[in-house]
Amino acid sequence: MDAIHDMGGKQGFGKIPLEDDYVFRADWQRRAFALVEALAWATPYNTDQHRHAVERVPPEEYLRRDYFENWIIASETLLQEAGLVDQSELEAGLKHFDIDRTKHQPVGSKEIVEATRAGAALRFPDDSQAARFQVGQSVRVSKVQTARHTRVPGYVRGKIGEIVSDEGVFQFADAVAAGTGPAPQHCYNVAFSTSTLWGEDAEAEDRISVDLWESYLEPV
Amino acid sequence: MAKKTSGSDDGRAQGHHHDQGHHHDQGHHHDHKHDPLEEGAALRVRALEEIVVAKGLVDPEALDSIVEYYERETGPRNGATVVARAWTDPEFKDWLLNDGTAAIRSMGFGGVQGEHIRVLENTDEVHNVVVCTLCSCYPWPVLGLAPAWYKSPAYRSRVVREPRAVLKEFGLEIPRTVQLRVWDSTAEVRYLIMPKRPAGTEKMSAEELAQMVTRDGMIGTAAL
Repeated sequence: MDAIHDMGGKQGFGKIPLEDDYVFRADWQRRAFALVEALAWATPYNTDQHRHAVERVPPEEYLRRDYFENWIIASETLLQEAGLVDQSELEAGLKHFDIDRTKHQPVGSKEIVEATRAGAALRFPDDSQAARFQVGQSVRVSKVQTARHTRVPGYVRGKIGEIVSDEGVFQFADAVAAGTGPAPQHCYNVAFSTSTLWGEDAEAEDRISVDLWESYLEPV
Repeated sequence: MAKKTSGSDDGRAQGHHHDQGHHHDQGHHHDHKHDPLEEGAALRVRALEEIVVAKGLVDPEALDSIVEYYERETGPRNGATVVARAWTDPEFKDWLLNDGTAAIRSMGFGGVQGEHIRVLENTDEVHNVVVCTLCSCYPWPVLGLAPAWYKSPAYRSRVVREPRAVLKEFGLEIPRTVQLRVWDSTAEVRYLIMPKRPAGTEKMSAEELAQMVTRDGMIGTAAL
């Protein structure tokens, strides 16, 4: 999705806010984080869909609001889309209807912590899919833009880079966010020279490395 | 609101437990007594929490457990232990650089947002720095949750375009003879930087060395 979240290379954001050296500065942020994480285990949506819902926050709100508030807004959106919560409830802060608890059971705290320690299953066996590209090969990043979730940053679209490593076979975030299954494929680390990306603005001959799924790449 | 509570500059921001949200600026002399945006956000979170708990979607006990897990079991001390071991154990270092996920798992660190970790070594020729331009991807098990500046538009937009200027703001000047490599965490791999071991530490133990490894050193925005 071509929205404000895709910040790489955008200009005008000023100095790095070094003073913002905290994880949580208010208890509501801590609570918001935990709520988003806890909901993930009891709801029909996944991390990639949550990212997409954050991306759908209107740009001016995305920039104005706190990071964790955007996370909460994204969860509200997904819960509404799943029919588990409605707008009147969110406005009132009160439950107006019951959901089918047989379909949506809360996951216990022990189970959540265990699952968090274990992590998600994101990878498939390396030989389960043929690799279209080889290390050392030059590739061009697809120029295709989509309103859906994608993990191609705008600043590398249409640019030529070199495959530095094959990271293995992973579920494809675009497909997972679209709800069409894992669509496993190779994911590559692709290096771009800063002069390729920024031309005369490049500070030096440096390198930007980006992890890109096979579907995003074309042979040169 | 507690806008600037005791700002941690050593990567232990997560050690400040529940003292930040409860005592709003008591004893401070700031004039921002309340921030309507933050109050709105706090209300919004409470409303959603009440609804989903009432509906039985979330077990309220789980909320505490999740926060407790991240504050107690994750954080930059984990990453520091990994780095210090690699500095003192060449075999482990080889393993770490070849298969970061497995080597880190062997030390008991892994889980959500650390399912696949690649470790990159800073040398005299190459300096590495990590970002997530699209959201805020960060290796939670070994660094904890990301500090706010890592998620800021300024860091995310600028570090891929003018990394040397950005690092200078952190107080780190990279000589022209050193190549800078910026790693944008766009897929499922998370990155941990192994900083250069400081000179004059040859006789130090892994435990002592771990004390010298900072969070920013492992993001690549500081040298040690």
